[in-house]
Amino acid sequence: MKKDNNLSILLKGILLENPVFVLILGTCPTLATTTTVIGAFSMGLAAAVVLICSNAVISLLRKVIPDTARIPCYIIIIAGFVTLVQMFMQAFLPAIYDLLGVYLALITVNCIILGRAEMFAGKNSVGKSVLDGVGMGIGFTLALLSISTIREILGAGSFAGIEIPFISNYKIEFFVKAPGGLLVYGIMIAVVIKLTKGRAPYKKDFSCAGCPSKGLCNPELCRDRVKEEA
Amino acid sequence: MKNYIKTIVSLTVICAVISALLALGNSITAPIIEKNQASAANESLKVVMPDGEEFQEVDITKYKLPESVSSVFSEKNGGYVFTVEVTGYSSGLIIMCGVDKNGTVTGTLPIASAETLGYENTYGEKLSGATLETIDAVDTISGATKTTAAYKTAVKDSLNAFVIMGGGSVDLRSEEEILNDELSKALPSADGKFTEVFLTENVTHIKALFKADNETGYVAYTLSLDGNNYIATDKDGNVPENSDATVVEISNEIKMLISSKLTEIDITAYQNMPAQIQKAYKTNNGNFVFELRAAGYGINGGNQWHPASGEYIYIKASASADGKIIAVKTLSQKESEGIGDACADKKFYSQFDGKTEENYGEIDAISGATITTNGYKTAISKIFEAIKILKGEV
Repeated sequence: MKKDNNLSILLKGILLENPVFVLILGTCPTLATTTTVIGAFSMGLAAAVVLICSNAVISLLRKVIPDTARIPCYIIIIAGFVTLVQMFMQAFLPAIYDLLGVYLALITVNCIILGRAEMFAGKNSVGKSVLDGVGMGIGFTLALLSISTIREILGAGSFAGIEIPFISNYKIEFFVKAPGGLLVYGIMIAVVIKLTKGRAPYKKDFSCAGCPSKGLCNPELCRDRVKEEA
Repeated sequence: MKNYIKTIVSLTVICAVISALLALGNSITAPIIEKNQASAANESLKVVMPDGEEFQEVDITKYKLPESVSSVFSEKNGGYVFTVEVTGYSSGLIIMCGVDKNGTVTGTLPIASAETLGYENTYGEKLSGATLETIDAVDTISGATKTTAAYKTAVKDSLNAFVIMGGGSVDLRSEEEILNDELSKALPSADGKFTEVFLTENVTHIKALFKADNETGYVAYTLSLDGNNYIATDKDGNVPENSDATVVEISNEIKMLISSKLTEIDITAYQNMPAQIQKAYKTNNGNFVFELRAAGYGINGGNQWHPASGEYIYIKASASADGKIIAVKTLSQKESEGIGDACADKKFYSQFDGKTEENYGEIDAISGATITTNGYKTAISKIFEAIKILKGEV
């Protein structure tokens, strides 16, 4: 494995390994909370806070946590932070707490957080893990922001709750419904693949070599990819 | 072995540390959350009473308010805001209702509900500005009768509570209590215990007949007399000798009703007798009494939330030989609780009184219980068929 420098750890989460568009993690909150920009932004920030904290703690404890019980340990740590975020949000940002509803609690089972714990924080130093958390958190937030901007402008004719003249007369409600979310999401994935010239999806960390289903898919293709990366 | 212990110890330690952190977080945030919720409650007080100032919670244990009222806030100008919990389509419909110093509803707000159609969010507008005198005239919404009727009850309870808070008194008796009080007033010797008599003969004055459980007499409910709706008789249906003509007619009707004898008809002797007809009787005046079985939700319904009970609805019905229903009563039923079980309410089955084959369908269905209503109606329709069969017309 090539040693990543700190800056690249921070930056890769934003585009090359964007959790939403490239790793396709955290799909559920992505679709559910991107109907409004405010909802998406606060969801992104809440998840980022949990991600940074849990990455730090899991990395700190990576030598202590026994391998066999690592998933339950991760979940407890993550759930703990989620509950703390929930408590503080309810106390200090009650409006946003009400807006996010059940999705706030569901951060616990957000694949991004568990995925980063498993893929990164469990193997790297605290500093690098925090950087990874910050990068992934920013990447997640930016991804939600971009999807929600499109959905809210087209679907509700507003941005962050502020009505946009003219567009608000021609709302396409489809975009704030679930199918609209999937459509925008799909198009954004395509755009990101185009922007990264198709390099992104073949990154090593989550390529065929590290894939739990590698025995099941096309072996020809798989071998080529592994070779390419070697 | 060492691994197991390490696993257990590390999981336990992590859990303990996280729990401690959560406890700390909770101790910091809990008071703030509580304060937020209290101020949110204050906000909703403002919503139901925009002109209200300086709300203060009132200790309601000093007052005998309607049971549904759970909290009361007083306001500087003499108004009150009531929190009332009622059961609409499902339990836990909590309404906040503001009443100004003149006893007029200033606004209402559903603060918790598990209703299905959301009518509780809009119905309140109709009740704004209502007073105790005008509220009965506000219509409920058909298709959401349970929700809107409960909403109306909640607001009415608030208005009643307002009167009580001001030192007035309000009739808080339920319909049953009012009926029982009226019956006891008419026939004090019954000690307040009455059983309704199932009407099996055609009567013109009597709408309902009640027998004293200790057999000291009868009380008839009638609308034929002005101002006096309850006529008491002795155990044989006699009234004082110098009573006016209508009262004597009522007395005669009671005598006919209590002397009515039923003779069972062997229905197996009749081919094509509908399966709904379980038993048939003929009265000595030539009327019919049937015991019916209706396939409602218990037989034809059922889903994961409301499983079918597998039980029929059993109904008793009387009808004249010319095919006019005299009385209907639900004897037993196991329809869905809170929905179809309304078929056991007198309000529902008494709708069939006086109906014929042409118009028996013109009744208000039980809201949310189409299968129950339809099964019930089908059973009722078989009465007319059975009468024709028994008379040899089919």
